[in-house]
Amino acid sequence: MKRTSKTYSFIVAITLFVSVAVQTAFGQVPDPGAPGPLAVTREEYDFGDTAFTPGDFPGPVELRASIHHPTDLSGGPFPVIVFLHGRHATCFKGGGSALLQWPCTANNSQPIPSYQGYDYVAEVLASHGYVVVSISANGINAVDNLVFDLGAEARAELIQKHLDTLKTFNTTGGAPFGTKFVGKFDLTRVGTMGHSRGGEGVVRHQGLNIQLGSPYGIKAVFPLAPVDFNRFVVNNAALNVLLPYCDGDVSDLQGVHFYDDARYNVPGDQSPKHYELVMGANHNFYNTVWSPSSPFPGSANDWLAFVPGGKTDPQCGKGKGNQRLTEAQQRGTGLAYMTAFFRAYVGGETQFLPILTGDAPPPASAQTNNLFVSYHAPDNPALRLDVNRLLNNTNLTVNKVGGAVTQTALTPYELCGGDDPQALRCLPDQPDARQPHTTPSIRSSLRGLSQLNTGWNNLTGNYKNEIPSTLANVSGFQALQFRVAVNFADARNLAGLAQNFCVVLTDNSGSTASIRVSDVSSALFFPPGSVGPVPKVVLNTVRIPLSAFGGVNLHNIRSVDFTFNEQAQGGVLVTDISFASAPL
Amino acid sequence: MKRSLANRSVAIAMVLLSALLASNSAALAQRNNNAANKELPMGELMKLPGKLLSEAKTAKQSGELKLTGYRVEELQLPRNINAEVRGQQVVINRAWRVTITGGPFPVRAMPAAIWIDDQIVGYGIENETLSQITAITLDNSLLREGGVIALSYGENKDARVQLPQRIQWKREGENQ
Repeated sequence: MKRTSKTYSFIVAITLFVSVAVQTAFGQVPDPGAPGPLAVTREEYDFGDTAFTPGDFPGPVELRASIHHPTDLSGGPFPVIVFLHGRHATCFKGGGSALLQWPCTANNSQPIPSYQGYDYVAEVLASHGYVVVSISANGINAVDNLVFDLGAEARAELIQKHLDTLKTFNTTGGAPFGTKFVGKFDLTRVGTMGHSRGGEGVVRHQGLNIQLGSPYGIKAVFPLAPVDFNRFVVNNAALNVLLPYCDGDVSDLQGVHFYDDARYNVPGDQSPKHYELVMGANHNFYNTVWSPSSPFPGSANDWLAFVPGGKTDPQCGKGKGNQRLTEAQQRGTGLAYMTAFFRAYVGGETQFLPILTGDAPPPASAQTNNLFVSYHAPDNPALRLDVNRLLNNTNLTVNKVGGAVTQTALTPYELCGGDDPQALRCLPDQPDARQPHTTPSIRSSLRGLSQLNTGWNNLTGNYKNEIPSTLANVSGFQALQFRVAVNFADARNLAGLAQNFCVVLTDNSGSTASIRVSDVSSALFFPPGSVGPVPKVVLNTVRIPLSAFGGVNLHNIRSVDFTFNEQAQGGVLVTDISFASAPL
Repeated sequence: MKRSLANRSVAIAMVLLSALLASNSAALAQRNNNAANKELPMGELMKLPGKLLSEAKTAKQSGELKLTGYRVEELQLPRNINAEVRGQQVVINRAWRVTITGGPFPVRAMPAAIWIDDQIVGYGIENETLSQITAITLDNSLLREGGVIALSYGENKDARVQLPQRIQWKREGENQ
């Protein structure tokens, strides 16, 4: 345990070093989570506990929400961000007991205000000129297990109902605000964030809004520690999934499917996709009402409460040297990446894009550097050239650009996790919770992420993707990138020790440039933890600036090699090799 | 694009299928295109009076979920419905309700799953006071004398909490 802890500290130190280097390269990116210049007012509207019933849903739902907005509305209309909490107890009684009913009819019981749990993000966004509406959904939580999709459709309908309500406020006005908000909401620029089951709710909502003729402009969707029971997909809107490594509730991090499923789903999809793997973060701390410091019953540190034996885990538990984040630190990561995402893709504040692509380190508001950012560029030939998607067995010999793919001294050299005939799981003897990219979904039979499962037994291992001469000019892209994870179940990787290999570009004159992955990324860390759902393999993006490949002609590249000559042996999972740039 | 069942036991797959079928009227409607089935929503099945087949209670709590007992009931459906059970289209008029007591159970994103031995009976529904979790199945082959009842969240088999009492059917004439 001690060695693991030391090693992990080393990895964090390396991350800090790389972050500083990258930050220098990109200049000073402002902190999107720092409070803005505008004074903020918080108000609520409440049309009652039974004001809305989603279609085919077995119970009534409240129409209640908070609105954070700039106190001075004269600068409007403002872009609108909608928050939706997830599944939690709905009511409480004195003495500390939580209940699951709606409305709260038990003697002296009151609603648990889960929708207030993200005020810390709403305040900052509003101070930068956004209207943030956080919806209460206790009525859905009370009975959503009675419906087949576990409430996704009802949540989507509830969001749409609130957007309709905002439209009324914005056009004719209405109680309780009168005409105060008329003309103040820009409903052509809307972002949505949903936590937990709310995460699947905002994904489903994006589709519902399209089905209804796109009455609102959903520009960006942020599932936070989401479930993905039904495998809905977001395309044509920016996507960002936040994955807490120590999630004790959605412990299989199934929400990574939202990113994996969306990548190549719609040709020409101009929307970027992101996720952050936040080490030491759990499920509940992102909502202040669900956190142990909350006065409301039902709050918990989900890792400690829900994972059998979890408190002994060296990463997520309570042992010396653990990497658990405090409530404040964890909310810092949520604040930083939610604000960066919505300000970039809803507000058009493009200065924050380097944070979302991983080109810039986490901002100060994140309160930790111990996280990994993944990025998938829009399907635009100016922004992304897929070298190898690694989707099917053909890609083991021919890549997406039509070049030959060859390997030397790699074993295994096979795809796993994707469609038949690939193996269902890449780590066949490990629990699903330890391999999120292939974890099954309760309400879908879709399979998971196709990955190259490979490894090497000596320093001669090599994986080569050739680039046809017609596509050899990659000078217009910012970076060469791929996703990778160390396979902790491969005994060739030593527990607690990071892996390493080199990425080599060769041009058509034979010049080469080699970059060690460890010089630009800490993504080759050995996944930490030893209890229940950890360790787990989550592939993280390694993004190497093309400017780092000195001495090769980027206008005339012949091949991309992964050369496994840094460690005597090892095993990794790889996918999504591309040349890519940040969104425009 | 469909997940192959080859790597899962057929038994588990069939159990999951039956769990889906039992999950609500929408599921039934999806499988059967039978409008009449929509008249049997899950909420109604939860409230139907049942015939008690097996029950156990103890003051001693089991595991971190503090399980204290279970109850298995047979439900007489208000009318016949078409359903798919173990891969076969059948007409059924009975369902089975399995309830685990204990808690208070946490309200989580991941639904609770009730197991008998290594098979999931169904995904559970909490009662209002969070002292019970109930699942319904249309497949009584899952319910066997001596079976071990357990609870997990999601399909996390390794994190199951088992009840110490095994299923023991009440004999004819025993008090219900």
